[in-house]
Amino acid sequence: MADQEMQVTHKKEVEANRGEFMSEGPYFAPAVDIYETEQELIVLADMPGVNSDHVEIDLRDNSLTIVGKAPLDKEEGTALLAEYRKGNYFRTFRITDVVDQTKISASFSDGVLRITLPKVAKAVPRKIPITTE
Amino acid sequence: MIRWRLGRDPLYSEMARLQRGMEDLFEALASGRPTATSPWWSNANLFPLLNVYEREDCYIVTAEIPGIKKDDLEIKMEGDTLSLKGERQHQQPEGQAAYHRRERAKGSFQRSITLPGKVDPQKVKANYKDGVLTVTLAKEPAALPKQIDIVTE
Repeated sequence: MADQEMQVTHKKEVEANRGEFMSEGPYFAPAVDIYETEQELIVLADMPGVNSDHVEIDLRDNSLTIVGKAPLDKEEGTALLAEYRKGNYFRTFRITDVVDQTKISASFSDGVLRITLPKVAKAVPRKIPITTE
Repeated sequence: MIRWRLGRDPLYSEMARLQRGMEDLFEALASGRPTATSPWWSNANLFPLLNVYEREDCYIVTAEIPGIKKDDLEIKMEGDTLSLKGERQHQQPEGQAAYHRRERAKGSFQRSITLPGKVDPQKVKANYKDGVLTVTLAKEPAALPKQIDIVTE
């Protein structure tokens, strides 16, 4: 079976609504994959052009916010073709009480941010063994 | 109920002509080359989206392709045409997993772009950092602008 052809998704510009941002430039919502296993939730966000020093993950109340700042690079030259815009990334998610907020970890490589949110122990499905007496 | 009669039905040949026209249009747009009508900002629908810049001595082509391994990416140069081809796989989660959201595209892609001037194929450099592929193509020396000195007699 042939692999599917990749589709293009144009970036969606969003309003970054946190006051502490000082960075100029447009903010886009990164494309994310969110999936849930028995133990944890995993969020993968595409943020190309951002380097790992400029990624911020903010957790407050029940809200997870990811911000990626792409450095404004110097003029590359005269633009002959511009099919995508460069900018920063911003997206917020609501996390429920299923997540153990103290154990969230994240890694970033090749423009993809991976956040692991382990579930609270009681939310992990468990088999109860039956003892016969 | 409409019964279609294929072949010599005049309605069918009209539809076929329309379809061919649409295919040609799609071909023109899908080739990814800047067309005469939209050389600057194009609403491309091919992955990856490209930005092309021109400097005095080189062209720079950039594409955002996050999460790919260098082995899955193939860059070829044929004459003045740069071809990108590759595959973006996602690491599958181990065990049972339920997706809540799935926005990141995956699959294979292939795209070519012809540069407007002559390029030196020996001097093409590609760099992949933080999900951005940057290809620098040096212009052929003959294509560089030359200053012409004026001699007064």
